[in-house]
Amino acid sequence: MITSFLRAALPVALMMCAAGLAAAQDVVYPPNNPSSPMKIELGRRLFYDADLSINGTMACATCHEQHRGFADGNRTHPGALDHPGKRNVPGLQNIALLSHFTWASRVADLEHQALTPLTGVSPIEMGMKGQDAELARRLAANACNVKLFSAAFPEKKGEISLTTVTQALATFERALVSFDSPYDKSEKNGQKLPADAEAGRELFRGKGRCNSCHSGTNFTDDAFHALEPAAPADHGLAEESGRAEDAGLFRTPGLRNVMLTAPYFHDGKARTLPDAIRRHGLSITLSDAEMDEITTFLATLTDRSFLFDPRLSLPDEACPL
Amino acid sequence: MPRRLPYALAALCALALVTQSRAQDAPMAATPPKCPEEAAPLPAELALWSAPTALTAATLPEDAGKAEIKLGAAVKAALFHTPEVKYAVRPVKPGGSVAYGGLLHIAIAEPGTYRVALGNASWVDVVKGGEAVESIHHGGGPACSGIRKMVDYPLQQGEYFVQISASGDAQTGVLVVKLP
Repeated sequence: MITSFLRAALPVALMMCAAGLAAAQDVVYPPNNPSSPMKIELGRRLFYDADLSINGTMACATCHEQHRGFADGNRTHPGALDHPGKRNVPGLQNIALLSHFTWASRVADLEHQALTPLTGVSPIEMGMKGQDAELARRLAANACNVKLFSAAFPEKKGEISLTTVTQALATFERALVSFDSPYDKSEKNGQKLPADAEAGRELFRGKGRCNSCHSGTNFTDDAFHALEPAAPADHGLAEESGRAEDAGLFRTPGLRNVMLTAPYFHDGKARTLPDAIRRHGLSITLSDAEMDEITTFLATLTDRSFLFDPRLSLPDEACPL
Repeated sequence: MPRRLPYALAALCALALVTQSRAQDAPMAATPPKCPEEAAPLPAELALWSAPTALTAATLPEDAGKAEIKLGAAVKAALFHTPEVKYAVRPVKPGGSVAYGGLLHIAIAEPGTYRVALGNASWVDVVKGGEAVESIHHGGGPACSGIRKMVDYPLQQGEYFVQISASGDAQTGVLVVKLP
């Protein structure tokens, strides 16, 4: 009796848990892919499922590690078939609040963005181009997946396809909300940060003018800038648009959890935050002490509750349904 | 108070957060080396990498004694599809159903830093007493050596499982050595 009670209660608990995630922030969901607790849970399972790569070695979470703000600690990350990576792995917190994703793309939404790692060929990441049927076969072979797709996509009769996979992934990604850092608490409560961090905040907004691009609640203007001439190995936004004037343009990265996402820049060649700051080609000079203060301020953007939220972690092996 | 302290503190806090999970993905060089022209010599402790013996990994922890590896002796371990393997501790990166994995066993005689060298980019966990040991360093192997990845662990005397997961190949080279 206890077992059957637990079995009945699990989906309810799951719904309540995932509903908390979705309610954490006012995220706009596309009309053709509304959110639901079941879809978030399915998306989470898919996010951690290495069967989404050609040889089963790479999940989304292989590069997007929760404890690093869903970024990664390498300059670039090789693909499932060991092709060299091209750009540094970006973090995913609050990605639903952005208009542009990754470093240099105008892809319209997260559903389409997911196709870049899944099926992209420049570089090959998960290597699933042309493998739609194989992907569906693998996922359908798991009875839990079948139940979850049915629960998440009742209007599509539980369809398991590349389309529903990317819809579920996007729904989970929209639940990656991080607004509980010491900085956020300070903003909410009106309490001062420690003195060095306050000094760093002043430099960030004042002398450093960091917030001219790293602006807003996510510390990004969500726009493309060319800090340097385009490098031969990576022409930035021009590679997608084909427009010469887009050469060298990269999106301003957000700075939440930035202390955990070294190395920095689109090519991952800035080893530390001071290295990254110096690479901006600032017209002013920041002393070592000022650099320390800015770094100390940026450390207040680390949101531990997000980094270790079990609702966003590798799910239990047991099926929730 | 020295001015460098805030940055040091912030960096230490961040490091503490990051090292709470086992990081070991070993990136490839942006441009793969030309082999054999750019081959790097094998360090002495890895000298036996190129003379592996065949070994079949275990699929259950209780059978890992049959997949015993010796310190300093390389093996070419035959692996199994992920669903066939029951690990002592669930890997952080478990691998998909089409990937391969398995368990090996090793006895460590004295405390020290030990390096696990692998022939591919599999995930590796070193497990004792139901807990995975935190790795302290990871990287790639010498150019053209066939060592794709190396992960270092601080180990004590005792019995350990070496868990391989998320392997793209049905077999991979494995060598455990004690670092000087």
